Amino acid sequence: MWVEKYRPRSLKSMVNQKDIVERLKSFAEARNIPHCIFAGPPGTGKTTAALCLAHDLYGEAYREHLMELNASDERGINVVRQTVKTFARVRTLGEIPFKILILDEADNMTSDAQQALRRTMERFTGTCRLILIANYSGKIIEPIQSRCAPFRFTYLPREDQDAYLRHISESEKVQLEAEGLNAIYEVCGGDLRRAINTLQAAASLGKPISNEIVYSVIGRANPLDVREMIQLAMNGNFIGARDKLREMIVKYGVAGSDIIRQIHRELFRMRDIPELWKVKLADAVGEIDYRLISGADEEVQLSALLARFIEAGITMRRSG
Amino acid sequence: MYASWTVRHKPKTLGEIIGNPQAIADLVSWLRSWEQGIPKKRAALLYGPPGIGKTVTVEALASDWSLELVEKNASDYRTEEAVRTFAGLASQYGTLFGKKRLVLFDELDGLTGREDRGGVGAIIKVVKQARCPIVLIANNAYNPRLSSLRFYCLLIQFKKPNVRSVAKRLRQICQREGIEPEEEALKFIAQRSQGDVRSAINDLQALAQGKQQLTYEDVSWLAYRDRKDAIFNVLRLIFYSKSCDAAKSAVDMADVDHNMLFEWIYENMPYHLRDLEDLARAMESLATADLYRSRIRQTRNWKLTRYVVDFMTAGVAVAREKTEPAGFVPLRFPERIKTLSRTKKERQTKSKIGWKIKRRCHISAAEAITEFLPYLRVIFENNAGMASGIAKWLELDDAMVEYLAGTKKQAKAIVKAD
Ligand SMILES: Nc1ncnc2c1ncn2[C@@H]1O[C@H](COP(=O)(O)OP(=O)(O)OP(=O)(O)O)[C@@H](O)[C@H]1O
Ligand SMILES: Nc1ncnc2c1ncn2[C@@H]1O[C@H](COP(=O)(O)OP(=O)(O)O)[C@@H](O)[C@H]1O
Ligand SMILES: [Mg+2]
Ligand SMILES: [Mg+2]
Repeated sequence: MWVEKYRPRSLKSMVNQKDIVERLKSFAEARNIPHCIFAGPPGTGKTTAALCLAHDLYGEAYREHLMELNASDERGINVVRQTVKTFARVRTLGEIPFKILILDEADNMTSDAQQALRRTMERFTGTCRLILIANYSGKIIEPIQSRCAPFRFTYLPREDQDAYLRHISESEKVQLEAEGLNAIYEVCGGDLRRAINTLQAAASLGKPISNEIVYSVIGRANPLDVREMIQLAMNGNFIGARDKLREMIVKYGVAGSDIIRQIHRELFRMRDIPELWKVKLADAVGEIDYRLISGADEEVQLSALLARFIEAGITMRRSG
Repeated sequence: MYASWTVRHKPKTLGEIIGNPQAIADLVSWLRSWEQGIPKKRAALLYGPPGIGKTVTVEALASDWSLELVEKNASDYRTEEAVRTFAGLASQYGTLFGKKRLVLFDELDGLTGREDRGGVGAIIKVVKQARCPIVLIANNAYNPRLSSLRFYCLLIQFKKPNVRSVAKRLRQICQREGIEPEEEALKFIAQRSQGDVRSAINDLQALAQGKQQLTYEDVSWLAYRDRKDAIFNVLRLIFYSKSCDAAKSAVDMADVDHNMLFEWIYENMPYHLRDLEDLARAMESLATADLYRSRIRQTRNWKLTRYVVDFMTAGVAVAREKTEPAGFVPLRFPERIKTLSRTKKERQTKSKIGWKIKRRCHISAAEAITEFLPYLRVIFENNAGMASGIAKWLELDDAMVEYLAGTKKQAKAIVKAD
């Protein structure tokens, strides 16, 4: 996958995030780092920066001094108690006395597990430095934040993303049109992972990458066409709307929670719904969201939500 | 016309027969004992429920050992006299051509009718004087009429083969017929047949003949084939009753459990309640029923079931204010039941792909599913060459490749592309 192929190996090849990269470089030169938190939106180079830092510190064999744990997959307190502690405790043999533990997607760690981490961070500072990575630093508990140097990553600016994508398409010998580039930025913002994946999927179609190609890839890749589903419901076509819902859930495996989040976002963007109704419907969305959290059936509950949109459509048509 | 598959795929050798290894071993060793002279029990009585391979075992055995099989359905030889004509055959071990002989009286159960008086006695006589092995087969060996006969026989019980072996046999048959079956579909048929291999094969033929693939969807109707009318009426009662009691009574009429009935209602409701406000109200009531289901799961308090029933029947019925009862509306099989097993399998495959991506791309398996899967799907559907490289790099197995490729054909192209 191109995202991996073109992941920078060293800090000096990282795109933008200049202030952060400069500070990290100075850590590497000083051969010492504090515990860090890397926070910021997806696909902006957080994990990359952590890996690059380790590479620049330890050289090619950096993997021997590094452990990557992903809190989304191993979020429980036992991971901290066992895996982390065992790793943190043991001294390494290199010139640099400490190892690095990358705790990725740390905002998914339970707060118990985070509490357990506090101790470990202090007791084993000598042998192990932590890099916590999260989308929102707010989900990391205060005591841990206070032990770490914070780094805020931001979406990459348009020029940087464009330049990087151009560089990739040249190396891969695919023809990337200006419009296509435009479209990728339009849908991916500065999320470089998404942008590169989109580029590769578009390239797989074997044609010059125009904006149509990009949109057709996005259409195929993100079937979350919530707007169309709502529209069908508002027009009174329950069966059609339910079919759309099923397509998302069954064919594309979109989670109910994602669908409801999108509905909520879409609701406030829709121009043809009176403001008052947006608020009324938001209440319905919230109710269904709550029911899903309490373990009710995704499809049935979302169907019930569609029925509420049908009612809204009827009332709105009546009042003209 | 096609021959029946039970005949066409009748096992020709013992090796093809599924189940009952012990019974078959007992039968074989008894038969072998004839080489040392006439054993104490001159007849073996095989017994067990229908369609599990009793007859076919004896036939396959005869063919494996090149025995001359003299096979008679006892039901054709009802009278004492008829049985006696058979006796002559049993009085010699070999034939003129040097083949050893095996005499089979099948379907002894048919011998117990009133007009066959004396039949059992005659068989006993034959057995007592037999000079070659005699195999008797019955479904019920403990039928009182057979009690005197039992004494002279080695009893060998045949049991129902388990679901797994039945499914395995069905798979072999599919292979010979050039059909690609889904495992879930075969399991479903096997389960339903409750060990009756014959009826499983018949079901398979009815469902799969002339097809190239057999999916779970194809077979899931099977379970409801005979109940279609009943369900149809139950649903009409729920959608068109004016009183709560009438609607609630539907639950007792329905021959399916609550969850299943819920699915039928949910699937068919929008085709009946044509007035949108009626439909919206009914849908809300159904969602409330579902809410009670989740409360039951959480509290394990089954008493709450009555509220599930209230909202899915009475609640739906009273939601109808404007809709007039429709004419004929075709019954729809619940989509969700059709796709249930498929989605479960797909979810598993998806999560396994997530873990593969995690190993390579420094991302959690959970995130990988949303951030990578959609794009991989586009690539795998459209570019076999690129997909093949990625599949190898990620170490995806065939099932994962097929999941991403969407079709078997494309999956094959990807595998070939390297
Ligand atoms: N154990 C088995 N292995 C493979 N095929 C089987 C088996 N049992 C039954 N079949 C299939 O079902 C058909 C009927 O089996 P068979 O005639 O042996 O049944 P049976 O046990 O004698 O039943 P019944 O008591 O009704 O006579 C066979 O021709 C074969 O196609
Ligand atoms: N600042 C960056 N410089 C270079 N490549 C980047 C940068 N940010 C993201 N990428 C690209 O996007 C991919 C994902 O980046 P990653 O660091 O894993 O994101 P995250 O911030 O979500 O941890 C990388 O493999 C790399 O190809
Ligand atoms: Mg990351
Ligand atoms: Mg038989």
